[in-house]
Amino acid sequence: MLTAPTPAKIESIVHGRIRAVLAERAVEVGTLSGADKLSATLGLSSLDLAFLVADLEAELGVDPFAKLVSITSVRSVEDLVRAYQLAFFPELQRRGEDDAVAAGVKRAQARRARRERR
Amino acid sequence: MPQTRKVALVSGGSRGLGAELVSGFLDRRYGVATLSRTKTPFITDMLRARKRGHFHWGAVDGRDHEALRAFVKDVGERLGRIDVLVNNAGIAVEGILSTMRTSDIVEAVEVNLTAALVLAQACSRLMLRQGSGCIVNISSVNAIRGHSGVAVYSATKAALDGMTRSLARELGPRKIRVNSVAPGYFESDMVSDMTEEQKQRIARRTPLGRLAQIGEVANAVHFLTSDQASFITGQTLVVDGGITC
Repeated sequence: MLTAPTPAKIESIVHGRIRAVLAERAVEVGTLSGADKLSATLGLSSLDLAFLVADLEAELGVDPFAKLVSITSVRSVEDLVRAYQLAFFPELQRRGEDDAVAAGVKRAQARRARRERR
Repeated sequence: MPQTRKVALVSGGSRGLGAELVSGFLDRRYGVATLSRTKTPFITDMLRARKRGHFHWGAVDGRDHEALRAFVKDVGERLGRIDVLVNNAGIAVEGILSTMRTSDIVEAVEVNLTAALVLAQACSRLMLRQGSGCIVNISSVNAIRGHSGVAVYSATKAALDGMTRSLARELGPRKIRVNSVAPGYFESDMVSDMTEEQKQRIARRTPLGRLAQIGEVANAVHFLTSDQASFITGQTLVVDGGITC
């Protein structure tokens, strides 16, 4: 793929490949949700996941699990989509980190406010 | 190039058993890719004699993991698929372990073991997509029997056999077979430093009374990669004239 696909396009491609693997298994799935667990909900094995990664590398030209993301951190459909989005848009990682820091600061402020009220 | 032939990738195909395997696969109408550190006269002859597109060679150092991966990707693109991987490249490292240089140990592990794992990883991705494939690791009788002076070599070869068994279980559900061939002593560069007396001593200990011909070892690889071995996976086929029996 010559130009970077949009995050929405990446999500659509990943969902499409997951559906293809499930179809091969004759598993019918309605709407794929980001929260669906690849193993527990959809019944994919680690070998199915390896197949998906090989297939997606051929389609998207990237392998986020070579260095960027640990495959063991991928549990859900959303995790898989995000890994590929990060491969094309590393700034999403920074944005996510910034969001996490902001959430941490917010939690600390709330704790401080509770202490002061006591 | 549109590739209707099956494709075999043989590591270390510039000489010895690797060169024999390259010739054998070409004779069996495979597209063949091989990698080695240097271009030998054999490789030059193959490049000259074979029709463009059916033979591909790359100058790759087995210690360079990125180069190994790039070579597999290139082969996939040039030849369209990879049906067979033969992890043949290896170096003989001999000496008493306690006096061996650490750098020699590391190099042997890198070339004999890590390179094979990296190639198996890269090729298995293509094979997973194809839904078929065959990997053969060239092991050694030294993985089965202990011999003084080859602890490092034995360790790398025994590790290959371990990889064979586990990878066979891992990839079997996708119809990818993984086996080892463990040759005994055969006429090659690896025994060229032996004296005639040493070779005769080995021959005396061998039930079949001689060293193997290189083609006899290659035949075992061709058998395991053929449809005749379609239900064989996770095994080590020992080709040693009976020396370990």
